[in-house]
Amino acid sequence: MPSTIVTLKLNGTERELIARPSTTLLSALRDTFGLTGAKRGCAQGGCGSCTVLLDGRPAVSCLIPVVTVDGCAVETVEGLADGDRLDDVQQAFVDHFATQCGFCTPGMIMSATALLNREPAPTRQDVTEAICGNVCRCTGYEPIVTAVLSAAESRRDGAAEGRHDSAAERRHDGAGERHRDAAAPLSGKAAG
Amino acid sequence: MLISVEMPDSAEAAHASLQAGAVPLGGGTHLLTRMNDEAGPDLRVVSLRKAGLRGIDVDGDTVTLGAATTLADLEDDPRLGYLAGCVRSIASPPVRTLATVAGNLFVPQPYGDLAAALLALDAELDVLGTAGLRRERLERVVADGLPEGELVTRIRFTAPAPGTFRFHKASRRRLNSGSIVTVAARLTVEDGLVGDVRLVLGGLSRRLLRAAGAERVLRGAPLTAEVVAEAAGADVIEPFDDAYASAWYRARVYPVHLRRALLGA
Ligand SMILES: Cc1cc2nc3c(=O)[nH]c(=O)nc-3n(C[C@H](O)[C@H](O)[C@H](O)COP(=O)(O)OP(=O)(O)OC[C@H]3O[C@@H](n4cnc5c(N)ncnc54)[C@H](O)[C@@H]3O)c2cc1C
Ligand code: FES
Ligand code: FES
Repeated sequence: MPSTIVTLKLNGTERELIARPSTTLLSALRDTFGLTGAKRGCAQGGCGSCTVLLDGRPAVSCLIPVVTVDGCAVETVEGLADGDRLDDVQQAFVDHFATQCGFCTPGMIMSATALLNREPAPTRQDVTEAICGNVCRCTGYEPIVTAVLSAAESRRDGAAEGRHDSAAERRHDGAGERHRDAAAPLSGKAAG
Repeated sequence: MLISVEMPDSAEAAHASLQAGAVPLGGGTHLLTRMNDEAGPDLRVVSLRKAGLRGIDVDGDTVTLGAATTLADLEDDPRLGYLAGCVRSIASPPVRTLATVAGNLFVPQPYGDLAAALLALDAELDVLGTAGLRRERLERVVADGLPEGELVTRIRFTAPAPGTFRFHKASRRRLNSGSIVTVAARLTVEDGLVGDVRLVLGGLSRRLLRAAGAERVLRGAPLTAEVVAEAAGADVIEPFDDAYASAWYRARVYPVHLRRALLGA
């Protein structure tokens, strides 16, 4: 089968690539677009280091033939920061030492972002469920869970005070930080 | 390696594409793991992503799931709360976004936890074959498989009455771990005695197992620890070794997990 042209809404911008049937979303991101945040850990769906958001949902990009997601919105860790200003989840990972070697971090942050977009006030249990597909060999997970809970709190504080990103504003003197999801409609918790 | 990926826009077009030797691709969370394996086979696939097979319909107590409905879709639907424990026991959120209901019917053990639940609910399938659309009991398809070139389009079952559905999965970790033993059951208890019961076991054989022997022991009997222990010895199981557990261990702990599934203790 010949290669085909695939269009992705990649971190908010429309991008095209020519893809073979065997090209995964992960290799498109890394090899074609140079977005090397998502990592190839296992290529078996088991480690989560390749996690991105696909139409807003966390997804392992190593198991997706990119031609099957033509027209979809894909968000990667590179889309979170605004220039050199980290978003609140990223900043919380720094503040709480939730990253060591960093290999798991982009996937971990995308899983956490997916959770916070759906559930602004997660419990500890919600966080562990959200990151259960993301393996970290360094941190022991505790700092990661703490960082995600803390990011949730700072988002809620920011939303309550009508600001957009309290952590970033504290650091940058209130320069009108963007926060894409603080005011988004909330879908509530998954049925339990 | 994937040598072709077709993206038909209807079930009929998907079925037509399968006639040339391609296989259906649901979420790919099983097939792509095989593709990504260095030694993975060359495969031509027909993606169901845009074939109009995704959706959940609840009409009275009849539930119809499109074959390409994702596990995340099930998780999000409050009408299917009784399946939530099962669905959330499967893999992780970034896998469930992709994984489909029909795909779960055809994965090798110890996977197939949703299939175990659907089998306990006596689900039936709409299957598109060369002679057109027909209905098949899931039980038949689990036992015999589906001929090449055929496509599951829908899965239908009767919602269990409140409190009559049980799902219990024993795994090494609480989250994101393959089954050691899975027990799925639909069971009614009247005046302390078991009435109707359908019991399905995962992890205890190369295919999901309908525990007909255990059902016979349970039917009409009081739901006590003694009866459940007797039921656990009433079927021929053929457990296997894998990375999660040995065959010996699976056989050893099955009675414990049957008890936990049925008695909660
Ligand atoms: C890390 C990881 C953990 C996992 N953990 C679990 C677990 O705990 N429990 C569990 O049950 N599973 C688990 N799985 C297996 C898998 O994710 C699920 O079983 C999933 O539901 C498979 O669905 P899919 O759509 O991704 O399948 P695919 O890979 O797309 O397809 C699987 C098979 O089904 C066939 N198929 C798909 N759709 C149809 C159709 N409509 N008609 C006919 N044939 C069809 C395909 O041809 C293929 O043979 C895990 C997988 C991974 C990667
Ligand atoms: S690389 Fe995709 S899950 Fe490990
Ligand atoms: S920080 Fe090293 S794997 Fe998580």
